[in-house]
Amino acid sequence: MDTQELNNIKREEAAKKSARKGKRLMWLSRTPSYVFVGIWSLFTVFVILWVGLSSLKSNMQIFKEPWMLPTELHFENFVKAWSVMRFSNYFLNSTLVVLISVVLILVVSAPASYVLSRLKFRGRTLISMIYTAGMGIPYPLLFIPLFVIMASLKLIDNLVGLTIVYVSLSIPFTVYILTGFFSSLPSELEEAAIIDGCKDYQVFTKIMLPLASPGLITAAIFNFIGLWNEYQLALVFINSDENRTISLGLYSLANSMQYTGDWAGLFAGIVIIMVPTIILYIFLSEKMIAGITMGASK
Amino acid sequence: MKARKGLIILFLLPASLLYGIFFLLPAIQAFRYSLYNWSGFGDSKVFIGLQNYVELVNDKVFWLSLRNTMMILVVGGIIVFTLAFIMTVALNSGIKGKKLFRAMIFLPNVIATIALTTLWAYIYNPSFGIIVNFAKAFGLEKLSNYIWTSPDNVFWSVLIAIIWMNVGYYLILLMAGVDKIPKEFYEAAEIEGANKVQTFFKVTVPLIWDVLTIAVVLYSIGALKIFEFPYAFYGISVPQQLYTVGIYLYIMGFGKRYPIYRLGYATAIGVMLLLSVIIVVLILRKLMKRDILEY
Repeated sequence: MDTQELNNIKREEAAKKSARKGKRLMWLSRTPSYVFVGIWSLFTVFVILWVGLSSLKSNMQIFKEPWMLPTELHFENFVKAWSVMRFSNYFLNSTLVVLISVVLILVVSAPASYVLSRLKFRGRTLISMIYTAGMGIPYPLLFIPLFVIMASLKLIDNLVGLTIVYVSLSIPFTVYILTGFFSSLPSELEEAAIIDGCKDYQVFTKIMLPLASPGLITAAIFNFIGLWNEYQLALVFINSDENRTISLGLYSLANSMQYTGDWAGLFAGIVIIMVPTIILYIFLSEKMIAGITMGASK
Repeated sequence: MKARKGLIILFLLPASLLYGIFFLLPAIQAFRYSLYNWSGFGDSKVFIGLQNYVELVNDKVFWLSLRNTMMILVVGGIIVFTLAFIMTVALNSGIKGKKLFRAMIFLPNVIATIALTTLWAYIYNPSFGIIVNFAKAFGLEKLSNYIWTSPDNVFWSVLIAIIWMNVGYYLILLMAGVDKIPKEFYEAAEIEGANKVQTFFKVTVPLIWDVLTIAVVLYSIGALKIFEFPYAFYGISVPQQLYTVGIYLYIMGFGKRYPIYRLGYATAIGVMLLLSVIIVVLILRKLMKRDILEY
């Protein structure tokens, strides 16, 4: 082995060593990043898990042994919330109102978004602007005038009325998301379809709608989560116990807490309201995150 | 693409009817209702011109609720965006589990506000809440004696929770902007000898300015119309320390435990709310107007 070869080997080893050292330094320099986002994420997950675990404890254990895991699983908290506190009723109301609303929102918004994003006609910009303006109008402005309109239609304290309010108020945001999706689709397909003898409405139903299905799914998820969690409109338009949505039900349960002191039942209620959206989120978080960024970074 | 007029009308009609009747129409009617003295949904209205607005200007509670709202906008906004920026940098520093961290930080956004208020009421509970238990376990006497929900503190406690809820959303927006920046810009900055802070302010911020503008406008609109969290936090008797403009409107219109039904006055508050949205958006557009850097 001559000296040159030896030198080469030495140099390689030195390079490897410094790379390893660099890696370790890099890792060290990332420590603050890990600590910061780590603490924040852990806190978030921790408080939600704490509530989940507490929902299985007895009230006594919640007060006396806050740090302990539940010693016995008190599923009766859920049974109580579900039947005695009428969460089954609220859950059913929310499911019906929200699912029907989401379908109707898509049925009316998809054609409008298609027309606004792909067809040329006079007044298109103006109509688009009017739709966008809806995203800046604060809901509280509508409380009283909309209450008057709904009252004149005899739709106060009525789940059909609440569905109409949900659908109408979700249109601007949904049109905003869907026009973004439709305008990103290639135009060759439309032209080809026309040449092949497709009628103009068939271009929409047979070509554009299937292509836009990722956008429709994103819009559906957002509206589902938003409306499932919605609470201020339900507060204004629903009065009676039997018509409460799940958010209203939990609100009244939390209010009655000052008299009952039944935290375990309240935690069970929180878990019931959280489970559907968290399950959706676990499976579709990437899709949701992509949907949020789509509107803002065209 | 060319299309029949009939098709355009047919496709636009259902959405426009619903949007027009149940959203735009009440928004426009609000201006008219705000000019009346009107004390119950069945009662007749009495025209009083701008008197509701004159009363509003002299209404201390209105100014308090506007101040609270502006605090959430300005103080909350500065903290939310500072934290979101720090997290964006942290998550892009090459750490493992970037997507998982991001997903966990975003999590509060998918949970019902009413569940989160209850959660935070429990975190802050002075006798057996999470903070008290934590402080006791570590012998932190000062912390365990701090009353988070006392009238003096409750606004700030609620603001902390609101910040916690919002950061994830704006983190995702900012990260999306940063992800679009081509790597060459960072390489060039490194060759020029820029340090991390310089790179951040001279490369990252200017290149995501368009995304940042949209994010700030979105946050501001959200902050101005905030209602749900502070309203639900304290139960049915919301203390004035937590009034936002939206909450004050609701209470003037519908009342707390007992109805109030000052419908014209409440609607005037709504008009002021809309005006403040318009003014804030115009100011932001002016403040944030830069030549967008194309790349």
